[in-house]
Parts: sequence; structure tokens; C-alpha cells
Amino acid sequence: MQSSRARLFKEYKEVQREKSADPDIQLTCDESNIFKWSAFINGPSETPYEGGVFQLAFAIPEQYPLLPPQVRFLTKIFHPNVHFKTGEICLDILKNAWSPAWTLQSVCRAIIALMAHPEPDSPLNCDSGNLLRSGDHRGYKSMAKMYTKLAAMPKKA
Amino acid sequence: MDSEDDMHDANDLESLDDDFYSGETGMGSDDGDGDYEFGNNASDDSDDGNLNRQQENYTVLSEDDIRQRQEEDITRISTVLSIERDHACILLRHYKWDVDKVHEAWFANEESVRQTVGLYENPVARTFSRELLCGICFERHPCDRMCAASCGHFFCYSCWRGYVSTSINDGPGCLMLRCPDPPCGAIIGQNMINLLASNEDKEKYSRYILRSYIEDNITSKWCPAPGCEYAVDFVMGSVNFDVSCNCSHNFCWNCTEEAHRPVDCTMVAKWILKNSAESENMNWILANSKPCPKCKRPIEKNQGCMHITCTPPCKFEFCWLCLGAWTDHGERTGGFYACNRYETAKQEGEYDEAERRREMAKNSLERYTHYYERWATNQSSRQKALQDLQNMQNVQLDKLSDTQSQPESQMKFITEAWLQIVECRRVLKWTYAYGYYLPENEHGKRQFFEYLQGEAESGLERLHQCAEKELQTFIDSSGPSKDFNDFRTKLAGLTSVTRNYFENLVRALETGLNDVGESGNQPTCSRSSSIKSGKGKNGKTRTIGGTTSRSLDDGNHSHWSCESCTFANTKSSMVCQVCHRRR
Repeated sequence: MQSSRARLFKEYKEVQREKSADPDIQLTCDESNIFKWSAFINGPSETPYEGGVFQLAFAIPEQYPLLPPQVRFLTKIFHPNVHFKTGEICLDILKNAWSPAWTLQSVCRAIIALMAHPEPDSPLNCDSGNLLRSGDHRGYKSMAKMYTKLAAMPKKA
Repeated sequence: MDSEDDMHDANDLESLDDDFYSGETGMGSDDGDGDYEFGNNASDDSDDGNLNRQQENYTVLSEDDIRQRQEEDITRISTVLSIERDHACILLRHYKWDVDKVHEAWFANEESVRQTVGLYENPVARTFSRELLCGICFERHPCDRMCAASCGHFFCYSCWRGYVSTSINDGPGCLMLRCPDPPCGAIIGQNMINLLASNEDKEKYSRYILRSYIEDNITSKWCPAPGCEYAVDFVMGSVNFDVSCNCSHNFCWNCTEEAHRPVDCTMVAKWILKNSAESENMNWILANSKPCPKCKRPIEKNQGCMHITCTPPCKFEFCWLCLGAWTDHGERTGGFYACNRYETAKQEGEYDEAERRREMAKNSLERYTHYYERWATNQSSRQKALQDLQNMQNVQLDKLSDTQSQPESQMKFITEAWLQIVECRRVLKWTYAYGYYLPENEHGKRQFFEYLQGEAESGLERLHQCAEKELQTFIDSSGPSKDFNDFRTKLAGLTSVTRNYFENLVRALETGLNDVGESGNQPTCSRSSSIKSGKGKNGKTRTIGGTTSRSLDDGNHSHWSCESCTFANTKSSMVCQVCHRRR
């Protein structure tokens, strides 16, 4: 408990210090609870998510960093490895390939990479996975783009 | 055809003296080629030969044996490759404890093996400062409070401890633990674990290494018996998969189900699956339905009166209580809705349960039940025989050697007889699964199989009788009996005869009863008149020889077997008489 708090505090200070280091990631900590974090990430360019801003919620276990944080999308996203309803993410480094040397910042980076390179063979969103697996890239792109527009972009007045 | 039958019948009579059970006499090879022979080399298989052959193709390992073998393998690799034992252990684990594979891969390309396994010779990261930043807690620590795997990525002791303990408590995956630095693949060996883990975790870890030696090694498996701690190392390529663990559990090394010769693994899997799926179904059907008295389809009564009308095309109207035709019901029988015929009939003993069962024997469920019941009965008989054997060994033999004033070492033949009974029950049990899957339309094989099975049952009964009842008289007798030596000869003889018969049976079933041709080449078997006399039985042999070919002809020409319920319909009908399925 104490070590996880200390480590999270280090990460917090690091984020404060290098706020502009990665313009695509805005990581913030809940002011009253250091075990609750959230992040806004920009959809990577040249993907159907480009132009969208996606919110992530982090729930951090007491054994962190020996155990991985639980991360989910708060913004609706159409992606093979993200559960369409709950926003749960299927990513190996958040499960068995977790290493305590990862940080919340690097998890965000990994999620951005996952958005650019979906893994349709282990889908959480079967509809999206099937589109990709059957080779219908156009179908996948337009669905993903539509949901990006609907959910991840500021509403036009 | 008839004349040929006669010829075989004649052969049967001639070969009656040949001993089908013992296999030690000439097996009637001088008879006509229509004779059935169980393995020509039967006489070569003496009992000892059999035992030795079984002992050769597997070894039972205790925990100490496993540790010793594991140590030996590690020593061999570490000497030949001149590397640390810790590293040798890691290499062996990676190559599933196959010493030859480690040699091969290492000498082909040491560098590539080191890379894939994660055993680096030179640290990738080098640092010379006195204080370092731990990549897990992000604190700075002096170098002497940090350590690293072969890669040279330093982390502080406290973070390492957490890392190692989390991994060990997460399961056997800890054997493949690597450096926490994400892209680094350096492996963490037992030396490092011993340096960092708590005593309890170290114990767990070395347990996982021991388990890995059995579980990852393709030639060894744990004995599946509950609570048994032995493992069995198997000589790959052996045909006979049956192994016998030191805990006295016999199992098939291939599928780890209990030993099941003569039936093969696929059939056993099918049978077990069927038992689990079917038994629930069957229990439900038996508890909640009755078969229509006319067409035998199971009917569930979920509501309403006792007047049941079966669904078309049967449309039989009957009474749910007595299963009699509704037309017989009226005021005389106590009213339409309160049938008491069933009760009165039962009291008068008119209601013949067996008769009803015979009527429904064609029903497929009945067919399965038939085989299942016998399979299960033999299963429980075997358990009983095992208990009797233990009782015999623990209590009775002692008593017997007192009353007969003979040393207990002379009583081994009794234990052997009981072991044989246990083994026979096991074989017999599986012949019922065999029988269930033996195609219905191969009448020749079926009849022959049922004959062999029947003979096996009666042979075993004889042995059982002798080992149980006759022995009891000697146990109960007040003083030494002079008949005891005769009894010894008899029981030992019966044991060996039964063993031979069952070995032949197993072999014959394993080869798929191939000696039974579909043509007129029907089986004949003879049995020793010294063991079993009685003209009635001998007459039966002839009858079987004679009817086999006839029923074969029937099967081929005048009947067809329904695909759905297996009922044998006459050729002229296009729809199954029982389940109304089209041909």
C-alpha cells in the first residue's frame, strides 16, 4: 500500500514535470484519491479515430505496480479489442504480460498503439473483429469513423 | 452352405478336446481352416514372459526418484555444456527436459539458444555509478542494495522481492519469469529466486520445478489416482498403454482413464461421454415418462387425465396407470379416471415386469441400458473383489495358514487368484462397452462376441466360486485337511486357465474379431471338457456354429437395420416399424 502510493506519487510528479512531453496524452490524477486516474488520448492519425479525443479511466490496485492497473474507455469506441458496452480493453500488457516497469504513461502509449494496430484475432467486439477478419476494411473504417464522430468529437453547435 | 455347416459342426466335435482356455495345448491347428484360433504363439507366452513385458515399457517413479533423475539430467547438461547448474536447469525446462534436444540445439547454435531462452553472457546494460534509479519504485538506491539478472537491469531488492513473490503466487508461470524491464527477455533462474523469495515461496517454486519435470516431459505423467504422488515414465512407442502404478491404480498411459483393454481410447472416451450425457437423460426419462405400450416412444405426462392418446401416427389410446388399452376401461375397472387394474394385477402377480422389458428390448435406450447396467455391475463387482482381496491378504490368509499349518508364503496362489478375478472383472466390464459399439449388422461377429463373453463370464464365475466358497471350507475347518494340496492345484490351474482365456479374449477383441469373416467362414471354438462338461453346453457350441451363417444370410438379404433406432425391419417395409423413420 505504502509502496504503491509512493510510486504513484512519483508518477504524478513526473507527469506534472513533463506535461508537454507527449501532446497526445493528458494524464490526470483524481485530487482526492491517488488510486483513481483518468486520461484523454488523441486518436492516432491516419486511423478512423483521427480527430477524436478518447477518455480513459484507470483503477489502480493496491499491489501496483506488481499488478497492472485496470483501464477502460469511457468514450464509446468501435474497435475489435475494446468492449463496445463496458469499454474494457483486451491488451496483453494489461493482463499476463504486465511488467512493474511499465507506467501509466506507457500504458496510454500502448493503448494508442493498439488503436492504430487492432488485433482482430482476439476480439472483445466481435462485430468489429469480424469486419476486419473478413477483409472488409472499408466497412470497419466507416463504422469506426462514425462512432468517433458521434462520441469522440466536440458537438458542433 | 448347409454341407459346409455340417463340416464345421464335425470339426467342433473333433476339437472338443483342444483346450480353448489354456492356450497351452495345440489350439486345434490340425483342424480345418474354418477353425478359429487365438494367437498361434499363445504357448510362448508364459506368465513370467507377460509380466516382464509389462514391466519393461514403463517405470513408476516416486518423488525421490523424480528428484534424482532430475538432478542427473541437470548434472549431465551442466558438465557437457560446461555451464552452471542453474543455467542447465533453465535450458532443460525450456526444452521440456529433453537432454538430447538441449545438446542438439546448443551445439548447433549456442548464441541463438542463449537469445531465445534469455541466458545472456554479457550484460546488455552497464552502469558504473554508485547509485542507481530503480525502474519499479523510481527511487535511487546504492548499488549494493540492488541486483540484476544476466542482462544487467538493476532493480532494488524490495521491488525484486515483490516481483518474484507475485509471480510465484500466480502459478507455474513463474518458472519462465523474466527481467521486469519490458523489452528485456533475460530469464530469472532458481539461484536468483532463492536469493529473493521467502521460504514458503522457495518451497512452492521448487515444487513447480519438480512438477515441470513430469508435466512438461512428454514421456512421463502423474498417476491420475486421487492423492497418489507417483509418476509413470513410459517408453514411447510401446503398443500396450496399460500401466499399473505402485498405488495399485491401473490406468491407460495414453488417455489416463482407468485401464481399458481390449477397448481403445477413442471408444472409452465415447463411452464415458455417453454415460455422463445419457445417464442424466435416462434418469429423467425413467423418472418422468413411460413408453407408449404400442410404439414404445417415451411419453411425458405433464397434465390432465389418465386417458392418453399417443401422438400420430401411433394414436394408441391407453391408460396411464396400467398401460392397458383404453377400450378395456370402463365402470368395471373402477371408472375411467381411477384405474385400479394396475394395483390388482400387481397383487395377483399378473403384471410381469420382465415381459415388459423384453418387449422394449429393441428400444435404443433399452439397448444402451442393457450394456450400461452390465458395465456398471462389473465395475462394482470389481470394487467388491478388490475389497475381498484386501480382506484376504490382511485377515484370512493368516487364519488359513494357521488352520492348514502351512507357511503363508505357500498361500501366494490365493492372492494371485484374487488378483486375476479383479483383472477379469475389469476386462469383462469393458467388453460391454465393446459390445455396445459392435455394429448391429455384423451378426457373425456379434454372435461370436456374445459367445466369447458368455464363456468368459462362466469361466470367471468358476474361478470366483473356487476362490471364495471352496476356500472358505478350508478356512473354517478345524485342522489341516489333506485335500488342501488338491485344492491348491485346482485353484492355481483355474487361475492360469482363466488368465489365458482372458488374454486370448483381449487379443481377439483388439484385433476386431477379424477372424470372423462375413462369408460362411464362421467361428468355432472348443473348450476343454475337463473344465466344463455337460452335453447341453457342447450342444450349444454346435448351434452357434450352425446359426451364425444363417443369421448372416438373414442380415444380408431379408432385413434392414433402422438408422435411428436400430430395429431390424423386414425388407418389404419402407418405414421403420418402431420409430416410423423412412428407410
